[in-house]
Amino acid sequence: MADLAGVNGQREHFRVVGKPNLPGRLSYALATGIAKFGIDYVLPNMLHAKFLRSPYAHAKVVSVETTKAWALPGVVDILTWEDEDLIKLSTGGFGPPKPWLDNIAHEEGAEVAVIVVAESEEICDEALRLLEVEWEILPHIVDILEGRKPDAPVIREGLPEIPSMFGMGGKDNPPKKGNVSYSYVIDGDIEAGFKEADHIIEFNLTIPAFASHMPNPPGSVAWWEDDPYHAPGKTLRIEGAVQRREQIAAMYGLPLEKTVQKGLFQGGKYCDWGMRRSQEITPLLAKRTGRPVRCVNTREQTYDFLMKQRYMYLKVGFKDNGLITAIDDYSIADGGVPGSSTFGTSGDQSYGPYYTFRCKNIRQRMEIVDSNRGKMYVSGQHCPFNWDAGTMAIYLIAEKLGKDPIEIAKINLHGPTSQDDPNPVPSFEACLEEGKKLMNWNWHPAGTKRLPDGRMHGASFRYQICPRHAFSGYDCKLEYQNGVVHLPTQGPVTGMYAVEVNAMVVAEELGLEYEDISIDFDYREKFTPVGGGSDGTTASAWAMKECAHILKQRLLEAAIEEAENPPRPTGMFAMPKPPSPFKGMNLKPEDLDLMDGKVVLKSDPSIGVPLAEAVTKNIFATYSGRPPDALWSLGMGRMLDTMNTAFCEVAVDTETGEVEILRFGVVADPGKIMRLTSLESQIDQVMYFSQGCQLLEDFVYDKKTGVKLHTNMIDYKKPGVLDVPHVERKFLETRAGNAAYGASGISHSLANTHLVIIAIHNAIGVWVDPPATPDKVLKALGKA
Amino acid sequence: MSRGEQMKQGGSMVLNHEAAQAISAEKVASLPATPAQYRCPICGKISVNHEDLKFHYANEHPDSVVPIVVKLNVNGKDCEVLIEPHWTLQRTLQFQLGLTGAKQMCDHGACGSCTVIIDGRPVLSCITLAAECEGKRIETVEGIAADPKWKPLIDAYCRWDAMQCGYCTPGFLVTAKALLDRNPNPTEEECREALAGNICICGTYPRHSQAILEATMKMAEGGE
Ligand code: FES
Ligand code: FES
Repeated sequence: MADLAGVNGQREHFRVVGKPNLPGRLSYALATGIAKFGIDYVLPNMLHAKFLRSPYAHAKVVSVETTKAWALPGVVDILTWEDEDLIKLSTGGFGPPKPWLDNIAHEEGAEVAVIVVAESEEICDEALRLLEVEWEILPHIVDILEGRKPDAPVIREGLPEIPSMFGMGGKDNPPKKGNVSYSYVIDGDIEAGFKEADHIIEFNLTIPAFASHMPNPPGSVAWWEDDPYHAPGKTLRIEGAVQRREQIAAMYGLPLEKTVQKGLFQGGKYCDWGMRRSQEITPLLAKRTGRPVRCVNTREQTYDFLMKQRYMYLKVGFKDNGLITAIDDYSIADGGVPGSSTFGTSGDQSYGPYYTFRCKNIRQRMEIVDSNRGKMYVSGQHCPFNWDAGTMAIYLIAEKLGKDPIEIAKINLHGPTSQDDPNPVPSFEACLEEGKKLMNWNWHPAGTKRLPDGRMHGASFRYQICPRHAFSGYDCKLEYQNGVVHLPTQGPVTGMYAVEVNAMVVAEELGLEYEDISIDFDYREKFTPVGGGSDGTTASAWAMKECAHILKQRLLEAAIEEAENPPRPTGMFAMPKPPSPFKGMNLKPEDLDLMDGKVVLKSDPSIGVPLAEAVTKNIFATYSGRPPDALWSLGMGRMLDTMNTAFCEVAVDTETGEVEILRFGVVADPGKIMRLTSLESQIDQVMYFSQGCQLLEDFVYDKKTGVKLHTNMIDYKKPGVLDVPHVERKFLETRAGNAAYGASGISHSLANTHLVIIAIHNAIGVWVDPPATPDKVLKALGKA
Repeated sequence: MSRGEQMKQGGSMVLNHEAAQAISAEKVASLPATPAQYRCPICGKISVNHEDLKFHYANEHPDSVVPIVVKLNVNGKDCEVLIEPHWTLQRTLQFQLGLTGAKQMCDHGACGSCTVIIDGRPVLSCITLAAECEGKRIETVEGIAADPKWKPLIDAYCRWDAMQCGYCTPGFLVTAKALLDRNPNPTEEECREALAGNICICGTYPRHSQAILEATMKMAEGGE
C-alpha cells in the first residue's frame, strides 16, 4: 500500500465503500421517467425558438429580409445578428469578445444570423423558410489533407490560432500559413536517439473523428418570475442549463440569487461540457416576449466532436531488445471551427502520449488545419484516445522483432517515480499478470491463426495510466441536523454516481450506513464532485473524507458535552434524556468512536448510545481542499501509480470482411474500488465507445458541398446490445492512487482508437483504418 | 401540497420505490379527461370548445389544417386531447398530457428511448401519429411505475445501475415490461434480443438482462 495521505487513508476494513448494488439516489426518478431533462420542460403559454441554420459548410449572411416571416401568423419575435439585444450578450471566455451570434457560418447546420420565436416549432420552421437570405457562399474545407495544401483556399484570415492551454505548444512555432497553424513540442535529442537505434520503423495512422453524442438533445426553457424575496426585478428561471447558473447569470448580468436553475438531470456528458446556443438564448427571448420560451436542438444538430480527426506519421527508433530510443511524431490534425477545444490538437501534445516510455527523445510536430467540419467542446476522452500512437509503436516493434508486444511494453515502461526510474511499476505488473490469465494470452504473429470456423483470429493489448484529475479543489460541507447527516450538493447527475460515492465515504467514516446519509441536491450548493470523470469522484471523496473526519470530531466532542450537561428538553411534553452511560467518565473525544450508528466507548464498544440520542444539537463541518499530488500538474504519465490493461480478441471473416469482437478483457487497478457497479459500468461504456469508433461510427461529408451526411442515428451507427461483445473485467486494489483510500480514476483512461484495429491487423496482417467496416476490410485484403 | 405537486415545483428527486410509485400514480390519476383548453396553435386564442376553435380557424386561418380531438386510452385512462393532426404520440404525451417518460433521443425511430406499449406491443412513439392511436391501449413508463406489480423490475433496475445518465432508461424499462408480459421467464439471450432496438450511449447494456432476470426471479417468488 502506498503512503496514503489524509485521515484514515490507510483504513483496512470497509463496511460501505466498495459495496455493490446500492441504488443511486436518483435512480428511481430516472428509471420511472419522473426525472426531467431540459428538453422535457413544457410550460403553459410557452413559445418556441429556432435558429436559422446554414445549409452551406461556410457562408456569410450578407443580408436578410424578414418582412414575409413577420407576416406569418404565429410569429412573435425575430432577431438578427445586428439586433442590439444580441450584440450586448456577453460571450465570456478568453481572448477578444466574439459576437454571440454571427452572420458567418463555419459549418453546415451552424446557427447563423437569425432567431425566430413563434407559437410552435412548425411556425418557426415556416418563418425560417420565408426569410429572404442573401448568402455569400465561401470556400470550405472538410478534408484536412486538402485544406493543408498551399493552393487550398484560405477559410479563416487573421492571427495564427495556436491555442495555449496547460502550456501547450512550443515557443518557436512557425507562423501560420494558409489554413495551417503549427505546434511543436520537442524533448531531448531526437537525432542522437535515432543514431542510437538499431532499427527504425515508420508508419501512418488515422485517429478517427468521433461524436460526443449526448443522449438528450440539448436545449432549455426559460421564463421570468416575480420574486418578492430578492432585490427588485424579475427572477430568471431557466431549465436545461444544469450547473451553468453562474455562466447564465454572467451572460445576462444578473445577480446569482436572481438566476434559478433547479433541474438536476443533464444526460451523459462524456467530457463534452460545452453549452450550446439553445441552452443560452432562452432568457433573452423570454424577456423580449414576456412568455416562457423553449429552444432545443434536434438530434441532427447534435453531432459535435468528442475527438477530432488526426493523421499521424510516426517514425520510431529502437534497439534490438525493443527499447525505444527516439520518436518523431508528425501529425495533421483537424482544428475544427472557431472556438473548438484544443484537446485533440495542441492540447494533446503535452498531455503525455509518450510519457510512460523511458525514451525522452521525442519530437511532436503538428499541423493544425482550420476546417468547416465541426466543433469540439471541452473534451476529455481525447487524451487516452490519442495515446494509441504509443500502442501502435509497441505492436509494430513486436511484429518487427517477432516478440510479444507485452514484452516490448515492459521494456519501455519507466518506473513509478520518473522517466529515469528503472524499477517496475507494481500496479502495471499486477494488471499484466492478471490480464494474461484472464485472456489465456498466447501471442501469435499477424495472419497466422485460423479459428475452427475458418475465420482469422487476432489479439491485441494496451495499457494506460488511471489518471488523477484533482485540479479543481472541493468545497465540502456536512450538516448534522436532528440526528441525520446531510450532504448538500449541486450534483452533477451525469451517470458517474459521484455523489453516491461521497455519501459512502461519509457513512464509512461516521460508522453509519449508506442509506443513513441524506444527499440534499440543491442547485445553490457549492459542493460538486466533478473534476474529470471517476477521477473527480475519487478526488472529491478524499476531500469529503476529511470533512467527515472534522464532523466526527465535533460529534464526539458534543457527545461528551451532552453526556455531562444534558440539554434541557425542548417542547411542552418532552421528557428529559435518560442519563448517558458516558456521564462522569471524564472522557476525551479520542476515547470514543462512531460505530453502527452509535457513539461507543473505544475500550468497550458494547457501551454506546445511538448517535441521534447522544448528540441532539445541530453541527456543521466544512473542508476545502484536494488530495495531494494531482498528476495533471506533474505531466501525465511521468509518474506512474495506478494502471490498467485492456485486451481484445477478434475474428475476421476474410470472405465477407466482417469483424467480430470475441471479447474485451480489462484488468484495472483503480487503487481502491469505491462503488463497484458504477466502476464496472464506466468500463463497459468506454469499451463500447472504443468499439464504436473503430468499427461503426464515422463522420461523412460531401466534399463538394461540405454537407454532413451522417447526422442521424441510422447512418451514424452507435453499437446496440447485440453489437457489443462481452467485457471481461477484473479489478485489483493496490491502494496506490492519490485520492480517497488510495483510489484513482478509471473511466476514459481506457478509451482507445486502435485496440480493435491492431487485433484486426494481428488477424489478417494488413492495416484497416477505423472504422473497419466490412468493405474497408475487403479492400485492404485486395478483395474489393 | 401533495408529493406530486412538490415534484412539479422542483422538490427533491431523491426517491425510493414507494415515492416514485406514488408520484407516477398521481401522474396517471391526474391525466385530463378532456383538453384543459382549446388553444389555437397559430395565434394562441382560447376557444370555448372544439366547435368554437373550428369556427375560429374558418375565419382566421382558413388555409390551415384544423386541430383535432383524439380519444386516447393512456395507462387505463380515457383522455381526449387536442392536437394538430401531424403530432406524434411522443409529442402528445409530453406536451398535452405532461408525461415525460417517453424520451426523445433520435426522433427517427432509431433508438427506442420513446418506447411505449400499444395493445401489448412495444412501439416507438416518435414515429407513431397520435391520431392513429385512437381506440388503442397505450401504456407508458408512468403506468408501469404506478403499478405495484412491477416493483421488482424497477427495484432491480436501480439495484443494478441499469442506467448511468438515465436518459434512455425508461425506454428500456418499457421494452423489458413488454417482454415480460409475453414471456415471464426469458433467457438472457431473449432479453438481449428484445432490447435490440434500444440504444444506450452510456453503455449499460449488460445491466439490463441482469436486472430483468433478477426481477423475473423475484416476481416468480411472488413479491418484493
Ligand atoms: S426517439 Fe423514438 S426511437 Fe429514438
Ligand atoms: S444511461 Fe445514458 S443513455 Fe443510457
